[in-house]
Amino acid sequence: MCPRQTPNDPHLGRSLYAPCALLLIVIAALLAGCQEPANGSSAQTKTSAGQQFDGEYPIQVVTTTGMVADLVEHVGGVQVKVTPLMGESVDPHLYKPSGGDVARLNRADMIFYSGLHLEGRMGDVLSQVARHKPAYAVTDELDREGLLQVGSETFDPHVWFDVALWRDCLALVEKSLVKFDPSHADDYRGRAESYRAELSELDDWCREQIAAIPSERRVLVTAHDAFHYFGRAYKIEVKAIQGISTQAEAGVGAINELVEFISRRKIKAVFVETSVSERNIQAVVEGCEARGHHIQVGGQLFSDAMGAAATPGGTYLGMVRHNVNTIRRALE
Amino acid sequence: MIAYNTGVVLAGASFLGASSGLIGAFALLRRRALLGDTLAHAALPGLCLGFLAWGERSLPVMLAGALASGVAGIAVVAVLRRFTRIKDDAALGIVLSLFFGAGLALLKYIQTHAVGGSRAGLDHYIFGSAASMIAGDVKLIASVALVGLAAVVLLYKEFRLVTFDAPFARVQGWPASLLDFLIMLLVSVTVIVALPAAGVVLTAALLILPAAAARFCTEWLSAMLVLSALFGALAGASGTMLSAGGGMPTGPMIVLAGATIFLSAMCFAPRRGILARALADRRLRRRIDDQKTFLAFQRLRVPAGAAGMTFDALRSEVTFSPGRLRRALHRGEREGLLVGDGATWKLTEDGHRRVASLARAQRLWRAFLVEYPDLASTFADLDMERIDEVLPTEMVAELEKI
Amino acid sequence: MSTVQGTGSELPGADAVAVGKTPSAARQATSDPAPPVLDIHDMTVAYHRRPVLWDVDLTIERPSLVGIVGPNGAGKSTLIKAVLGLVPLASGKVQLFGQPAARQRQLVGYVPQRESVDWDFPVSVLDVVLMGTYGRLGWFRRPGRAEREWAMECLRHVGLADFARRQIGQLSGGQQQRTFLARALAQRAEIYFMDEPMAGVDAATERVIFSLLRELRESGKTVLVVHHDLRTVPVYFDQVALLNMRLVAFGPTQQIFTNDNLRKTYGGRLDILEAAGQALADERRSV
Repeated sequence: MCPRQTPNDPHLGRSLYAPCALLLIVIAALLAGCQEPANGSSAQTKTSAGQQFDGEYPIQVVTTTGMVADLVEHVGGVQVKVTPLMGESVDPHLYKPSGGDVARLNRADMIFYSGLHLEGRMGDVLSQVARHKPAYAVTDELDREGLLQVGSETFDPHVWFDVALWRDCLALVEKSLVKFDPSHADDYRGRAESYRAELSELDDWCREQIAAIPSERRVLVTAHDAFHYFGRAYKIEVKAIQGISTQAEAGVGAINELVEFISRRKIKAVFVETSVSERNIQAVVEGCEARGHHIQVGGQLFSDAMGAAATPGGTYLGMVRHNVNTIRRALE
Repeated sequence: MIAYNTGVVLAGASFLGASSGLIGAFALLRRRALLGDTLAHAALPGLCLGFLAWGERSLPVMLAGALASGVAGIAVVAVLRRFTRIKDDAALGIVLSLFFGAGLALLKYIQTHAVGGSRAGLDHYIFGSAASMIAGDVKLIASVALVGLAAVVLLYKEFRLVTFDAPFARVQGWPASLLDFLIMLLVSVTVIVALPAAGVVLTAALLILPAAAARFCTEWLSAMLVLSALFGALAGASGTMLSAGGGMPTGPMIVLAGATIFLSAMCFAPRRGILARALADRRLRRRIDDQKTFLAFQRLRVPAGAAGMTFDALRSEVTFSPGRLRRALHRGEREGLLVGDGATWKLTEDGHRRVASLARAQRLWRAFLVEYPDLASTFADLDMERIDEVLPTEMVAELEKI
Repeated sequence: MSTVQGTGSELPGADAVAVGKTPSAARQATSDPAPPVLDIHDMTVAYHRRPVLWDVDLTIERPSLVGIVGPNGAGKSTLIKAVLGLVPLASGKVQLFGQPAARQRQLVGYVPQRESVDWDFPVSVLDVVLMGTYGRLGWFRRPGRAEREWAMECLRHVGLADFARRQIGQLSGGQQQRTFLARALAQRAEIYFMDEPMAGVDAATERVIFSLLRELRESGKTVLVVHHDLRTVPVYFDQVALLNMRLVAFGPTQQIFTNDNLRKTYGGRLDILEAAGQALADERRSV
């Protein structure tokens, strides 16, 4: 790239090294700067918004979590075939997509994901795919005022624990499907309406069930801090060991605090989650025993993932019912 | 009274630190300090296979699998080193990435296929969670620590011999490779047992930091082993207490405590620490400057009672900077060997005596180099005035006669 | 100076004779003449297809001081290491005092090259010399007072008694070499193998080493020394082995250390030959 020494001017070659190097550095910087910002949410880009479906049914939809898949299935019905990337007991905070996952995303007709940075490690992949496919975060049109704020600009992503909030996500799914496949618009609208009613019913049922627990025992202690929406919606106090995302390691101070709290309030049970390690809970149980306060593991809750496909826990409705029943049984 | 959980973590972390420190000392001296890191990474596929084989999460099964694949990793390192041209650092890196990659692939497989049982938190074995140690963990860690201690005490001379001079050990008939493997096995077991509690990064750090800190503090192996264990335990304990008080995650706090101990040892250890060395160097340089300054007086032949030497005259006789010369002169003044009035310097009586003694030393050293050229490299000492301490008296007496 | 190796009776409880077959014991066992001290037969050591030592046959019949010389890369160190079992043989057999070498470890003393060890290791001079006694202690036993005194005796013998408590990194090159020697002495061997013991040491140490070698030979021990300085060969060694991948010649120094043989070993490098020739001339003149 840099010219050799010429006979007339032996120093020419050497003096061009610096500019050559500078040029290389500038090129490298430009290339590096041309990366997409890592962002999970607003990938609803202009390039793919106008697309319409013109292939063979069913529409291939790929989602991230099972909860989102459940939502899309209830609206899309027979016209869609939904495949979630994350199965049962998978932690979406830590999930890293494999080559196979990326291929699946690229083959899909539509993509739905949860959003609000729940899929913490998939941001790059999702924004990449969003550039040439319709990809939607189901939480995108929720009113930010109604969300729980965690940092200056970040929100708690576990919205599906508040059935009413989750129901509100239906609107976006409905709208996107209608836009993508107008020929079946009526089907989509109809299904969305009936599922909306089911979810409202579930919401009321949850509130009723939790209210039946005596108020001083109405405390939900879990491994990670996913249940705040649940707590707010159904009026139950919520405490956890790890923070919002399972990426953070707990400190022994946090465990001590929780042990102290549980013993003081004489809470009967704590809960493990299917997608999070039980180690922290075990330590809390031992700590309480040492203080003479007997506590048991009330059961396993579905938090960031639903259950196996064929089981009752494998649908959103089933999962919520299981959680509420388990909580009520253990704390009453 | 400290909380129960804090107590449990305290005990566990201290035992872990102590046993890692003890075994880590041998790994460090063997130049294989990064073995702990490689081991921890190489354990991942075994963990996953243990889970797959058993069908659900069972700690003993998974740890057994982890140990097996960790040891397999070390065996591969040994094979690479012995039968190929690949050196230690590359071999460790190869095994680390190979096994860890396989482990990640297995982990992914487990995550995406319904294999029954809760598979949550498998990858937490990589990151560990020191804060959630329970009594059972502590018992396991303590027993491993005791086994390690027993091995080191029983086989102290064998371990020391093999670490220092393995070929010689082989000539004497010791099974050097077996002993080496035994040391590495102890490292493996310590690392594997620590993984659920401490995770990869912490275990590797606990293996290296206390041993490296202890190296700075002593010149004897037995002391180094004891100090290493103590530093490890200290790091574990203080990290735990800091985490309990402040709400910071426990694992990283222990690593930070260990790093602080290491840095302090590196800077402040007597004799081998950076500060001690710098001070010793400075002391020596000052002494040499002083000696050269006084010799300059002698070269310029200042008789007692004369007007004294000017600064510039002195400066032309020495090779170091005027600043250093000035400081040397002031030091001489403080010791009562010189008297100065700003521009000129005069020797006091004590000063004259010093010059005479230096001149004698210089003369004797020159004679020594001529008479005993073969001993020069063994005995020559830059600090000239030490000649009477360094050379035997008869030799000095002989040199005087010349 | 006192003799280094007595019958072992100075130290209470020590074995009177090394465990292993020495010439006298072997002679008592059968009525054959004493087996050779060292018998190397058809030894080949190779690195893949490249031979380092090729079909070497060497027999040392009686205790003597043997020097091994040759150009760099000739396989001198390898010869010693192969006899000691430190490198694998592609072919060949080694016997010490009539038995396979591997079974005679108790009779062997070893002084490796100085660079083979990390001198920053936290041990003292005495600790290193004590390592020479480990062979007889067996598993788990620690060296006791008897071993300690024996080690100090060996240190005194090489003139390092004052340095017993020093960390080995604080020693000069010659002192380090002498530490290794003391360690070998502590092994109480019948045959010693030394790998360039006089390389890079001061003249005083070289004199100490040489007088030590003489003593050893006088008390009936055999010493094989890989040596680098051709000029001193006629002075130091009874027998010399000229090695350059093959054994060029072996025998009493007077007969073997000739210009002709040296040319065959070194391939006509004039400066070496000149130095060697000078040495021969000096030696003859002084006889």
